[in-house]
Amino acid sequence: MLEKIYENVIKGNIAGVTEGIQEALAANQDPSTILKQGMIAAMEEVGRRFENEECYIPEMLIAARAMQSGLSILRPRLIQANIEPIGKVVMGTVKGDLHDIGKNLVGMMLEGVGFEIVDVGTSVAAAQFIEAIETHQPKFVGMSALLTTTMPEIGTTIKEFQKAGVRDQIIVMIGGAPIDQKFADEVGADLYAPDAAAAANKTKMLL
Amino acid sequence: MNHRERVQTALAHEEPDRCPMQISFTPEFADRLRAQLNTSGNLHNPHGGGNTYAIERALNQDMLLTSVGWANSYYATDADTYTDEWQIDWQNIEYQTKYGPGHYTEMVGHPLAEDAAIDSYQAPNPHRPELYTEAAEVIRQFKKDYWIVGVTVTTMFETAWALRGYEQTLVDLALNPDYVERLFDIPLNYHMTAAQKLVELGVDMIWIGDDVGSQNRMLISPATWRRFFKSRMATFIATLKSINPQIKVAYHSDGMIEPIIPDLIEIGLDVLNPIQPKSMDPQQIKSKYGDALCFWGSIDEQHTLPFGTPEDVRNEIIARLKTIGKNGGLIIGPTHHVQLDTPLENFMAMVETIANTPYSAL
Repeated sequence: MLEKIYENVIKGNIAGVTEGIQEALAANQDPSTILKQGMIAAMEEVGRRFENEECYIPEMLIAARAMQSGLSILRPRLIQANIEPIGKVVMGTVKGDLHDIGKNLVGMMLEGVGFEIVDVGTSVAAAQFIEAIETHQPKFVGMSALLTTTMPEIGTTIKEFQKAGVRDQIIVMIGGAPIDQKFADEVGADLYAPDAAAAANKTKMLL
Repeated sequence: MNHRERVQTALAHEEPDRCPMQISFTPEFADRLRAQLNTSGNLHNPHGGGNTYAIERALNQDMLLTSVGWANSYYATDADTYTDEWQIDWQNIEYQTKYGPGHYTEMVGHPLAEDAAIDSYQAPNPHRPELYTEAAEVIRQFKKDYWIVGVTVTTMFETAWALRGYEQTLVDLALNPDYVERLFDIPLNYHMTAAQKLVELGVDMIWIGDDVGSQNRMLISPATWRRFFKSRMATFIATLKSINPQIKVAYHSDGMIEPIIPDLIEIGLDVLNPIQPKSMDPQQIKSKYGDALCFWGSIDEQHTLPFGTPEDVRNEIIARLKTIGKNGGLIIGPTHHVQLDTPLENFMAMVETIANTPYSAL
């Protein structure tokens, strides 16, 4: 049954994942085991394949959607069993930037390895990020920018975090096409990753 | 050597007097240039539709672009929101730079978001004569001196994702192949008709394009590209060359697309744009594929132009001329429209270095 869930997450087969989870729950399988061995293991495998260029964004996207769909069924059972996400991440694209496919993929891959995602959307001003930090108390805040004209907004937002006194309570992770480690160091971000699979791995290592 | 001869020579894999230059820019950057160059003009279309070419000519550029197709929906108006003739909804979104605020036009509504919408969707008509009056005028006025490029970029994939939504189109590529075939054919047929008409009118080159590269790898697998894109592009190129065997075809994709370059050569591509240097090493690309392909672009727009110094810009141009530009085969320019964050000194350093560096001085 867990194998069925695992295989169907990788294939992006939502109906197969749903069926597998229902069967596993009906057979009194532990929801935490379903999550870890069926779904998280599958998304880790998708991440591995992505990093090895055995799969690309469409395949990653459909696996992540199947995972999300499975999670919506499993979530009430996880809550009942007091199983918490491994960490919480607030994420959005910075002000002026509406390009969200990268941010969405990172969110999906993080969710895939067990994080809870609070997606604050696109073109998010510093004040909105700060409000989300205060409301949701995440350990991580992820920001992305696709464009050279909007990437300076990442530095501006981090400065606003300092002014608001929330910078030290969070780990700031950033990404986007023109971003590199040098830029991350310059603006004082804690973590940079070049793609969604790497972001999930690196974030998990910081727990 | 006039502009036109310069491009012809480069595309024949020979060194002209200097490397040909093509530079596009966003509307706000065009405003800054107009003030600097004391030229006039209307809302600037970076893809080349509806422009006066006053800036391009004042800068001593060698190619003039004239565009027919969905790409003209970018920067179509100054309005906060608008719907284009493909029924795609757009929003103007502001960003700040040290040179003042700029705007991008971004897609926010997609007419084919629902699966069934494709059944009743009516694409615009590419046969309307008024679509081609500007191209005819550009050819009449400038072809004697300039290399004229008919632009039909966003040829299938990018217009398809504008119609359907980006994420959903990527999902469709993995899950709904039959739907993707239907979806791609909508913009493909439109741009095919437009490109044919532009070739019949007398443009020298057709520029097609669809972004299939990300910063350091392809967005989709080479196998997916071969399944959905390759034969369509092959037919597109062959059709244009059957109308005019001398026509050159250029293709644009951002990012890293090296795995499909041999395929592009196989289907008859002449020119590859833009060779983003942070994604693909221009020198290596030249040494591997330079005998079969010409290149257009190669000046870094992710760091050097916006964040480097004029000296960095000059050094990069000289390096490119000596490598990817060696023995001709290059039309040099930035890898995207120059953005408002670029200092004018960097921009002018680029233009002057290109204009004042003859091949004989390298």
